[in-house]
Amino acid sequence: MSPSFYIYLALAAPVALALAALLRFSPVAQLRLLAFGTAAAALAALPAAIVVWSNGGAITAAQGWLRLDALSALHVLLLLAVFVPAACYAGRYFQVELAAGEFSRKAARRFAALWFGALAMMLLVLFANNLGIMWVGVEATTLLTAFLICTHLSPGSLEAMWKYLLMCSVGIAVAFMGILLIAAATRHTGMPVNTALLWTNLIGAQDQLDPALVKAGFLFLVIGFGTKAGLAPMHNWLPDAHSQAPSPVSAIFSGCLLNSALYCILRCLPLAEGVSGNVGWARGVLVALGLLSMVVAAGFLMAQRDLKRLLAYSSVEHIGIMALGVGLGGLGAFAAMLHMLGHALAKPLGFFCAGTLGQAYGTHDMRRMGGVVRQAPVWGVGLVLALLALVGVAPGLLFISELLVLKSAVEQQAWWTTGIYLAALAVAFIAVLRRAIALGWDSSAPPPEHAAAATAGMDARLLVGVPLALLAILGLCLPFGLWEFLQQAASIVGGRP
Amino acid sequence: MNHFTDTLLVVLLLTCFMLLGTSRLTAGVRMTAVQGFMIGLLPLAVEGGEIKLRVAILAALIAVLKAGVFPWLLMRNVRSSRTTHEERPLVGYGLSTLIGVAAVGAAFWLDSRLPFSAEAHSKLVVPVAFSVMATGLFLMVGRRTAIYQVLGYLTLENGIYIFGLAIVSGIPMLVELGVLMDMFVAVFVMGIAIYRISREFDHIDAAQLTSLKG
Repeated sequence: MSPSFYIYLALAAPVALALAALLRFSPVAQLRLLAFGTAAAALAALPAAIVVWSNGGAITAAQGWLRLDALSALHVLLLLAVFVPAACYAGRYFQVELAAGEFSRKAARRFAALWFGALAMMLLVLFANNLGIMWVGVEATTLLTAFLICTHLSPGSLEAMWKYLLMCSVGIAVAFMGILLIAAATRHTGMPVNTALLWTNLIGAQDQLDPALVKAGFLFLVIGFGTKAGLAPMHNWLPDAHSQAPSPVSAIFSGCLLNSALYCILRCLPLAEGVSGNVGWARGVLVALGLLSMVVAAGFLMAQRDLKRLLAYSSVEHIGIMALGVGLGGLGAFAAMLHMLGHALAKPLGFFCAGTLGQAYGTHDMRRMGGVVRQAPVWGVGLVLALLALVGVAPGLLFISELLVLKSAVEQQAWWTTGIYLAALAVAFIAVLRRAIALGWDSSAPPPEHAAAATAGMDARLLVGVPLALLAILGLCLPFGLWEFLQQAASIVGGRP
Repeated sequence: MNHFTDTLLVVLLLTCFMLLGTSRLTAGVRMTAVQGFMIGLLPLAVEGGEIKLRVAILAALIAVLKAGVFPWLLMRNVRSSRTTHEERPLVGYGLSTLIGVAAVGAAFWLDSRLPFSAEAHSKLVVPVAFSVMATGLFLMVGRRTAIYQVLGYLTLENGIYIFGLAIVSGIPMLVELGVLMDMFVAVFVMGIAIYRISREFDHIDAAQLTSLKG
């Protein structure tokens, strides 16, 4: 079968599933559809990613409008690695609502349809070669995921949803300005209008583009997509949305939504860098925003009492590390790719455990949750280990990637960057570790009210164990094939500085 | 220089001032509808002379959506929310209008510093685009009612669209259709969101949605 068929297959499967979810199923059947359907969609998207992984290069479809190269294939794989466990976990998470009769047929149907719709649009963002189509996909993910936040209707969730909807819509509108400016930069290249916005054409014609317009466009794109990616200072919506959404949704927000927006910035980075003469101007923008995000997040982590908000601010920090790594380029870009992998494994796990423990304790206030390691062994240990992995405790994968970012900064003798990076990491480390220890072993806290919600069967052990095992194993030894694949993805955004 | 284009642009600018100066939600929605209709006509005027089928279809689609469907959806919202006026705007109407005037001045100044107008169809396009964007952003932060924030968002999008007409010789049809579809879904989703907020809180005052902090 031709590679273009794989691309169509990957995009068509979630659309078909979203339509199927609109049929009248019972809530239980919807949840089953969610788990098996997401797995099926993953199977449909895998061939395309595997072809790119094993053959290198890129595959295209629809006259070059759809394209998959190492960078996007890596993002597709990470997306699937978050969506599949999150869908399985959703089945478990909503059991509690289901038992209480709060998860109606209508709510289940809407949830499943929007879930698959969001999956389809995120895949479209990654497969799109045209900057305009990429934009359409990002905006569509915002709109489709808005109602996932207020699955539980409450004043807080409605407020978070409204904030998310408005801030991200405006952000995306700003990004569109950026795309217009880049389109304007192609005016004197003689490229036909229809294909001028294709990423491959832009990269190919970068010597003829108007540098001032591309630079201005890049700034708008960074601010616009950066809002959606959660880069400080445009991150305000993020902690609210992540903390109010049901945990499976928080997991895909943190693991995929932010990454797919960052991916759009990464796509434009080599363009802006090439056009501005490879002097590190565009990289500097990312380094600055990355460091700022880390610092802001570290401050809020210190003062945080809500477990899910803690995880949300940790996402701001990690997006900052990724932006910083890519901004440093070279080894740093490779480290950023590695960091994405580690974050995609650890953060959803954190949200799964936080969600289940939240159901058991009836709150996400960390002062009222304590000794979870004893009270709910599997989820409690999972939470503590996920938090440790997230702050970069050895031998986790994130430890290695953070070390490589550091190495890259030191190699470039960027001492200010190194200093701020280390300080922010240290503050975040202390803030989260302090909480993790209290959460894990503080015996003075009351036991959970609904301990039954945190019982753990085989499914729970797998959901918690597999990502933890992967984090530890990959931290100790990275298979050569994966290393090479990450290198390829990194070379698209960075190469050597 | 094309007189029809300039007339449309001046009307667009006027709608911005009407939006800034009115407190009635229905009047605001109507103004946005007028704006949407002008936006629909604009590509036809810019094209002048012979009009391609592609441009005509897009123009008709934009006019139907922005002057018909969006206002209709928003009007339903206004009726169901039982809020008729923006009661205590964060910035008063007199001051808003003054800020609008200042924004227009700033837009012309900004335009004189940027190279876009040299190649545009009319000297007015770029400054009007900037003014419309500024109005949209201002409405989003200066008004409390959720409806007005949506109107601000639509105005911002209109401004960006005008800017696009001025500086880009064309956007692929597929992308334009995608953008329009996204806008449609956005208004639809925001409408449902406002409906839910009005049911849950008994008001649609977005400035009071401040319980989540830290």
